[in-house]
Amino acid sequence: MWRRSLLAGLLGAVVACGPAAAAFDRAAIAAQACGGAAGMTDAANAMAAGLVDASADDAKWTVALAGAAIDRGLKCGPGGAMIVRSEGAVNAVTLSPVDGGGGTSPLLSLKNRPLFETVRAAATLRSGATADERGAALAALERRAGSLPPEFFEKAAETEADAGLKARILGVGQAALLNSPDMPKRIAAIEHIAATSDRRALTRVDGLKSDPAYRTDPAFRGAVDEGVASIGRWLALSNALNVFYNGLSFASILFMASAGLAIIFGLMGVINLAQGEFIMIGAYVAYAVQETLRAVAPSLIDWYLIAAIPVVFVVTAGIGVAVEATIVRRLYTRPLMTLLATWAVSLLLVNLMRVAVGTQNLQFVTPWYISGGRLLMGDFIVTWNRLFAIVFAAVTLALTWFVLKRTPLGLNIRAVTQNRAMAGCVGIATRRVDMMAFGLGSGLAGLAGLALCPIYNVNPQMGSNFIVDSFMVVVLGGVGTLAGTAIASLGVGQINVLIEPLYGAVAAKVIVLLMIIAFLQWRPEGLYAVKGRRK
Amino acid sequence: MIAPKKAYLARALDDRVFSGVAAATLLAFAAVALWPGLSGYRVNIVGQLACFALLAVALDLIWGYAGILSLGHGLFFAIGGYVAGMHLLEQSVATTGITPDIVQFMGWTALPNWWGPLGSFSIALLAAVAVSFAASFAFGWVSFRSRVGGVYFAIITQALVYVAMLLMFRNDTGFGGNNGMTGFQTIFGVPFQTPGVAEGLALASLGALGLTLVGCRLLMIGRFGRLLVATRDDETRLRSLGYETLRLKLAVWCLSAVIAAIAGLLYVPQVGIINPRVLSPELSLEIAVWCAIGGRGRLAGAVIGAVVVNAIKFSLSATLPELWPFVLSALVILVALIFPNGLLDIGRWRPAMLTRPGALQPKDAPS
Amino acid sequence: MTVAVLVEGLTVEFGRFRAIDDLSLAIDYGEVRAVIGPNGAGKTTLLDVVSGVSRAKSGRILFDERLELTRRSEAAIARSGVRRKFQKPSVFEALSVRDNVEIGLGGANDAGSKEKVAAILETVGLSDHADRLASELAHGQKQWLEIAMVVVSEPKVLMLDEPVAGLTDEETERTAALVRRLRTPGRAIVVVEHDMDFVEAIADRVTVLHEGRTLFEGSMARARADARVVDVYLGR
Repeated sequence: MWRRSLLAGLLGAVVACGPAAAAFDRAAIAAQACGGAAGMTDAANAMAAGLVDASADDAKWTVALAGAAIDRGLKCGPGGAMIVRSEGAVNAVTLSPVDGGGGTSPLLSLKNRPLFETVRAAATLRSGATADERGAALAALERRAGSLPPEFFEKAAETEADAGLKARILGVGQAALLNSPDMPKRIAAIEHIAATSDRRALTRVDGLKSDPAYRTDPAFRGAVDEGVASIGRWLALSNALNVFYNGLSFASILFMASAGLAIIFGLMGVINLAQGEFIMIGAYVAYAVQETLRAVAPSLIDWYLIAAIPVVFVVTAGIGVAVEATIVRRLYTRPLMTLLATWAVSLLLVNLMRVAVGTQNLQFVTPWYISGGRLLMGDFIVTWNRLFAIVFAAVTLALTWFVLKRTPLGLNIRAVTQNRAMAGCVGIATRRVDMMAFGLGSGLAGLAGLALCPIYNVNPQMGSNFIVDSFMVVVLGGVGTLAGTAIASLGVGQINVLIEPLYGAVAAKVIVLLMIIAFLQWRPEGLYAVKGRRK
Repeated sequence: MIAPKKAYLARALDDRVFSGVAAATLLAFAAVALWPGLSGYRVNIVGQLACFALLAVALDLIWGYAGILSLGHGLFFAIGGYVAGMHLLEQSVATTGITPDIVQFMGWTALPNWWGPLGSFSIALLAAVAVSFAASFAFGWVSFRSRVGGVYFAIITQALVYVAMLLMFRNDTGFGGNNGMTGFQTIFGVPFQTPGVAEGLALASLGALGLTLVGCRLLMIGRFGRLLVATRDDETRLRSLGYETLRLKLAVWCLSAVIAAIAGLLYVPQVGIINPRVLSPELSLEIAVWCAIGGRGRLAGAVIGAVVVNAIKFSLSATLPELWPFVLSALVILVALIFPNGLLDIGRWRPAMLTRPGALQPKDAPS
Repeated sequence: MTVAVLVEGLTVEFGRFRAIDDLSLAIDYGEVRAVIGPNGAGKTTLLDVVSGVSRAKSGRILFDERLELTRRSEAAIARSGVRRKFQKPSVFEALSVRDNVEIGLGGANDAGSKEKVAAILETVGLSDHADRLASELAHGQKQWLEIAMVVVSEPKVLMLDEPVAGLTDEETERTAALVRRLRTPGRAIVVVEHDMDFVEAIADRVTVLHEGRTLFEGSMARARADARVVDVYLGR
């Protein structure tokens, strides 16, 4: 609070002495600096006003004087002001060495200290030797930009050589203009700030509602309200985009987990309760690949996610084929018993992994190509790790579609799905198709595990986090079409992410379940069921 | 066609395995009642086993007879269990005045007012029956009406119990959250440590099991049971003979849920705690496993399965708890592959069935 | 005389596939009507819609000129006296032959029910197998058992979907005799069948369906002579 009133006071002072201080009078300023608290305020204001058109040399002098005042190196003696440094004393006006005589350091009051700090930073911005130095000064100025003359930043930007810094200086200048005494300039600045719609801009413009002008000047009030509303709209949009984006990445994982389930269910009428564990194994195989690379070729470790793709698919598909051949095939006419048997497999896999590797979360390297993200608008950041999962799922969808529609295996799978007996009659080895499809489905689950390891925790129990949601996808999407699975994944994923921040993760699950039960009232066969007559 | 009453009862005992299980239940009842040397620990184990057997019988009614697999029966067990928990807490406060822990960690000053009536056992029993009936009726009605069955029904019930677990884990659901309810002091005004309480609870459980077994068996060998089997074999055929299968399925589903709730009601006083872990999908799956291992569709198999599996679990949990999941999964796979109709089929088993899977396998209801 | 089943402007669609296309048809009491046609002509779909297993998109089906069937449940249609045998023999395999027939009788528990069951078992020739499990029966016996289950309730409309599929010649003849015996003045019998000799032996009239529409209606002898019927179905 005190800072704000201080700023307001300061503003008045700057306005008062603005035009008069165009010429930079070092001696007068030095004298003022020795003139007690009021004098020091005048000195700071004179320097601030003068810095607008000051030469680089004047700016350097200002750095020295303000710095001395702050560090108590300024001495006011009978011979005028001096600056005492470790290597000796210099004249405060000329900066030429003098004999270190006596004198007292003027005390920098609580009110004057920020003024001098601002002046020092502003002067450093004009005269700093390196871009880093000037950048640091600008950062210090950002919060106090209003205490400098509005033209200051324009001038500083003109002389700035570094392009990035130049843009930043102009940005801070705009902020300073918010406090400009010139109302059209203020309003223009509000509009300019409202154009970049992030949370900081909102705080800034929203803060102006407590400005006295907000009550007195309708044009100002209109500009502030419009700015707040506009930023609010963009923020809401970017929030929605964030939610949508997170939902999309969750849906991507869900899709890869469920596509296999749906293919197997359509083909054999069984649900594989161990699907979640195939996801888990996929993530563990990815980890194994990472550790192998670490041992064998440490320079390539960033590429483990890519290198693991074929390994994960082959290993999980292989385990799937083994499970099909030893267990599922023998329970062919008993889909409910298959549920129990595959659950037993999942129990076995989880506990084997527990005993073999342990229950702790695995530590994954985050490769450079999936770390960070890009701020697109407002608060909406496209993070690369989630984009990786989304792109990965899209590619998987395309490939799976290709396998189902354009390869002999896909043709066989579709034929057996539609009419097993007939497919058998025309010479399709239906059991072999079952096995291959089971392998394909397990491999897809494994890939889901690979795609999620940069986003979610990886431990032996992780499979259970996805399995209920992927069941719901299968129920919702119906069997036999990838499109149904993809759309249902999007639906379940988005609803989960949408409801979670509002009512919590549990409510999200409750609502998804209730919606699916309600949906089944309307379409018991799922979204895209192939309808036909019975028998 | 109704046979004379006496013949009907005799027909119920035709099945030798069923008679054996019924006799064993009676024997266990007599042993607990009359043998003073039995340790409290053993009595407690017998009581728990009886509750699990009751739960398995409940599932066998719908899975074994009507062909509807529920992977969410833990939900109804938990309804009975939570009602028992509330009843016992109210009882304990009324008789000892000790404030139970749940009041503290839920940030209450006393037990919620609406729990008050549950302090009476008859109201608690009524509540357990009514709530489990209402819940099963609502869920069964919407599911069976839209003809959801088979694998779909199984995984939706699994989702149901999973969601219920997540809800109960939350503190603001109001039932003790993660900690659940524990610290029960008295039952019917008698402290739990009093000699004879464990025996009484075990006898109640065994009695409930025996009555349920005989009652359900009479029901299943009658017309209702035959219609359930017909529903399992070919539901469309049965509908086209003029039967509203929705009513049949709903009736057996609600009956099964109420029996499961009673099992939960009897179970909680014997273990002294109820928490959301009974709602884990694993427990509900295990119930199905008991039935599958014992043999479906004969009630006796459910009892045998529940007792055998849980006896192994109890004995392992004392010595090698980490071995249990491996034993359980091996048991399930073994039974699924080698004894398609559970342990009841051991006598009919031939090595040839290994190479011709499906030879003796009962059909699941079509999905 | 009232019409047993009156089908008017019936259309049934599965997704984009139109299985029955604006079909109209009348079946009288006392007749045996055969519905024939190539695969996919909509024969079984017609029975499905009449018995309530499938839903019509438009059109109506009147039973006994008073009961509209298209919005009723399968069970309600069956109870009103319209019953059908399925294409694939559908019996309750885990129950005894007698139990199967008793279930077919519905809830009736009157004094005569026992006799009715015994009589129908005698009619279909399964009296000796009454206490065996249905799963132990041969294929032909299962077909007869299902007919017994359907007929025991004395339906006014009896629909048989391929009753002789997979039967031996001798069994086919016995089935034909059975169907003739089931024909009464108060009952309409609809038979869907591919076996033309069987159809000739039992049917009073035939309806030939093609692509969901009626191609021909009349006697079997005239059907054999009709050029269009020969073209799409019977072959030369």
